[in-house]
Amino acid sequence: MYSVVLTAMIQGIKSVPVSVEADVSDGLPLFEMVGFLASEVKEAKERVRTALRNIGFTLPPKRITINVLPANIRKNGSGFDLPVALAILAAVGIIPKEAIADSLVIGEVSLNGEIKPVSGILPVVAGAKEKGIKACIVPGKNAAEARLVKQMRIYAVDSLTEVIHILNGGDYVEKDEKVNREKRTELQPDFSEIHGQKVLKRACETAACGMHNLLIIGPPGAGKTMAAMRMPGILPPLDEEEQMELSKIYSVCGRFESRVHLMEERPFRCPHHTVTAQGLSGGGRIPGPGEVSLAHKGILFLDELPEFQQSALEILRQPMEEGTVRIVRVGGTCEYPADFMLIAAMNPCKCGYFPDIERCRCTASSMERYINRISQPLLDRIDLCTFAPQIKFEELTETAKEETSEQIRARVILAHERQRYRFRNENFRYNSQIPSQKIAEFCRLNDKQEKNMEQIFHRFHLTARSYHKILKAARTIADMDGSDKIENRHLNEAVCYRNINRHFWERK
Amino acid sequence: MKYQYWLSNIKGVGSQTIKKLLKFSGTAEALYAMRKEQIEKIAGIEMHTAAAIAESRKNWKPDEAYEKLTERGIKFISWEMEQYPKRFRTIANPPYSIYVKGKLPDERKNSVAIVGARMSSDYGRVMALRLGKALAERGVSIISGMARGIDTYGHCGAINGGGETFAVFGCGIDICYPESNHNLYNKILESGGLISEYPPGQKPLPQLFPARNRMISAFSDTIIVIEAKERSGSLITADFALEQGKDIYAVPGRTTDALSRGCNNLIRQGAGIITDVESFLEDLGLPAEKASSQENLKHLSLEKEEELVYSCVDLRPRSMEELAFRTGLKAQVLADILPVLMQKDLIIETFQNYYVRSS
Repeated sequence: MYSVVLTAMIQGIKSVPVSVEADVSDGLPLFEMVGFLASEVKEAKERVRTALRNIGFTLPPKRITINVLPANIRKNGSGFDLPVALAILAAVGIIPKEAIADSLVIGEVSLNGEIKPVSGILPVVAGAKEKGIKACIVPGKNAAEARLVKQMRIYAVDSLTEVIHILNGGDYVEKDEKVNREKRTELQPDFSEIHGQKVLKRACETAACGMHNLLIIGPPGAGKTMAAMRMPGILPPLDEEEQMELSKIYSVCGRFESRVHLMEERPFRCPHHTVTAQGLSGGGRIPGPGEVSLAHKGILFLDELPEFQQSALEILRQPMEEGTVRIVRVGGTCEYPADFMLIAAMNPCKCGYFPDIERCRCTASSMERYINRISQPLLDRIDLCTFAPQIKFEELTETAKEETSEQIRARVILAHERQRYRFRNENFRYNSQIPSQKIAEFCRLNDKQEKNMEQIFHRFHLTARSYHKILKAARTIADMDGSDKIENRHLNEAVCYRNINRHFWERK
Repeated sequence: MKYQYWLSNIKGVGSQTIKKLLKFSGTAEALYAMRKEQIEKIAGIEMHTAAAIAESRKNWKPDEAYEKLTERGIKFISWEMEQYPKRFRTIANPPYSIYVKGKLPDERKNSVAIVGARMSSDYGRVMALRLGKALAERGVSIISGMARGIDTYGHCGAINGGGETFAVFGCGIDICYPESNHNLYNKILESGGLISEYPPGQKPLPQLFPARNRMISAFSDTIIVIEAKERSGSLITADFALEQGKDIYAVPGRTTDALSRGCNNLIRQGAGIITDVESFLEDLGLPAEKASSQENLKHLSLEKEEELVYSCVDLRPRSMEELAFRTGLKAQVLADILPVLMQKDLIIETFQNYYVRSS
C-alpha cells in the first residue's frame, strides 16, 4: 500500500523536484510525516485529514507514514497539502496510482476540501517541463500562470472532489477564465511629458544605451523621479527568455497575481530610503527575493541616496558586479537574478539648494556629513552623473515638441544592436560591463584622442577607475552616434557626465 | 628670550597685563625672579593674576621649553626684539609676542589683505583669486586668515601668481584650521609664513578670531573686502583698518545679495570700489598692463559655437541645463564644448555640471 506523488518546491527561482511518498500499513493508528519538514509542511497532516473527512473520506485506522524526499533539503512552502492528500488516496486505493504517475501536483488544501493558490507556480511548471513531465495539477486560481508554459497539460482544479473525479477517469472541464485576456495597456509615463531638462534626458538616454548606472543630483522638484520613472519606457522590450526569468521572480514572491501574459514591461522599483539591507537584497528566515531582484532587467531607483542606511547600500555591491544576489540563511542558500540598472538621485546638500549660495543654508560641516554618507565603493560603480536644476518658467512653457519615449527607444535599440554585434563573442552584452582588462581592446583610441585623454586625465585629476569609466561612457556615446571609432567629441561628452568629485562640496 | 616665552604662556595674562608687569620689572627675567608678594604689589595687578604667575613658574623650565619650541621650527618674537614687526608697534593694543612659522612679511614691500565671507559665492571666489594673483604677480604680499571661503582663495590666488602670502591665525600656528586647508597650510609655508599671537597648541575659539583681525590689518597697507554679510567678521577687520589708518577697498555686488551687503555698505561709507582689477592696480600705483590681452587672444581663437557657449557662461555659476537653454544647442553639442573651454582655462566647473568663467 505504497504510493508516490511528484511535486516541487522553490529554491531561489529554481524549482527543486520533490516526491511525496505515502505508506498505509497495519499497526497502531498513526499519521506521521517525516523528511526534514518546516512547520507549515508538517501542518499538512491536520489539514489533509480534516479535508478528506469533510469530503466524505475518513482515513482508515491504520499506520500512515508520509515521507518527503529528498531528505537533505528543508521543505517549506504551502504547496504540499495536495500532494500529501493524493499520495494517501492513491495508497488506500481511492485513486489509481497510474493516474498520477507522470504528473506534478501542487496546491494548498483548506479544511472544506477546496484547493487554494500557491506562489511560484510558474517556475514549478517550467521546471516540470524541463524534467519531461507531461501534466501538472495546479490550483484553479493559478491556472493562467501555469498555462504560460507551453506544451504542458494543465489540470486546474478547485476542490479535492474534482481531482478525485478527474483522476478516476472523469472528464476534465476546462474552466472559463474570468480574467481578461486583453493585454494590459496601462498608460506608461512618457519622456515627452518632461519639459526642458535636455541635459538630463541626454544622460538618461546614454545610460539606457550602455546600461550604465546613473546618479542624478538636483534640488527638490527638478524632475529626478519623473525621469527615472520613464527609464523602463526607453529600454528595449524584453525578449522571451528575460520575460520568463522576470515572471518567475514575481511568481515566487506571489506578486504575479492574475496575469495572463508573461511580464513584458521592465520593472521600476523605488524602495523607500528606510529599506533594510534584507529588504533590498532579499532575505527572511526562508529567503525570498528583495528589491534588487524585483528590479531585475529593469530600474532600481534609489531616491535620496544619502538617506539610505549604509548597510543597505553596501549590499548592492555584489549584485551590481555579478548580476545575481546570493543569500545564505538557515533555511538554505538561494541565488536570485538581480541584473538591474541603478538610478540614484540625491539633493546637492541637506537643504537642497547648493550651489545656489543665496538660498543654501547649509554649513560646511553639514555638507560634509551629507556627502560622506554616500559610500565611495557605490559611487565607483556608477558610470554617469548629471545635475538636474530646477526648470525656469520660460522652459516650462516652451511649446516645442518634446521627443516621445518611443522615439528615444528606437535609438536605444540601435545602440544595443551595435553592442550585441561587437560583443558577440564575449560573455557580456553592454559597454558598462566591459571588464577593465578588455577596455583597451573595445575602447581603442588613436593618437589624437590619446593625447586629448592625457590632457583630460591631468586636468580633471582622474584616477585609473574614473578614466576607465569615461572610456566606457565614451564608447556608448560613440555607439549612439553610430560611430565605430571613439572621437574627441565622445570623450568630451563623457567627461561632462563623469562622476561627482567630493571636492565640489569641500569648497563651501 | 626664554623668559619672555614663559611670560607669554601664562594663562590669564594677556598683552595688556604683560605691559603693566614689564613697566615695573623691566625685563621678563627680572619678573621671573620676583617673589609672589612683590608681584602682587605692582599697580593694576590683581591677586589672582599674581597667583597665576607664581603657579606657572612651578612647572615651567624656561630653557627646556624654549628649546622645544625652536626645535619645532617655530620662531618666538617678542616686543623687545629687533625682528618685532614695526607695523605692530604703532597700533593700539599690540600683541606682546608673536609666533612665526616660515617668515614674516617683508616690511619694505607693499602688502594687501584679502578678507571676506567664509560662505562665499563663486563670484567672490573668482574675484579673490584674480586679485590675489594680480597683486602677487606684482610683488605684493597677500595677507589673510586662511579661513574657508574668500581667505582661502585670496591665498590661493597669491600662490598661483607666484607671490608671497601670509596667514594670521586665531589659534596656535601648529593647528591647521579648518582642517580641509591642510594643503594650503603647507603651500603657504613654501613661500610665505604663518603668524599667530597665541602659543602653539591653542585651540581655535570663536572669541580669539576678532582679535587676530587687528593683526591682519596691521600687516597690510590696504584691505580688500570681498563679500561680507551685513554683520561679518570681515567688517571687524575693516574697522581695525580704519582705526589704523589703512586704505579699505570693497568689491561691490548686487544690492539684493545678502553676501554683498556688507561690501556695498562699506562703499557707501567711503571705501574704495574695485570695479576691475586693472583700475585697482592703478589706484595702488602698480603697473596695470592688460593681463587680459592674453585671455582675449585665447578667446579669439574660439570657434563660433565655443564663442557662443563662452558668452553665456557668467561669473555666477550656471548649470549645463541653463546653458543649453540659453545657447539653444543640443545637450551633446554643448557637452563637447564645455570640456574644451575648461581645458583652455576659460571656464571652471564649480559643481557637477555647473560652470563659471575663470579668472
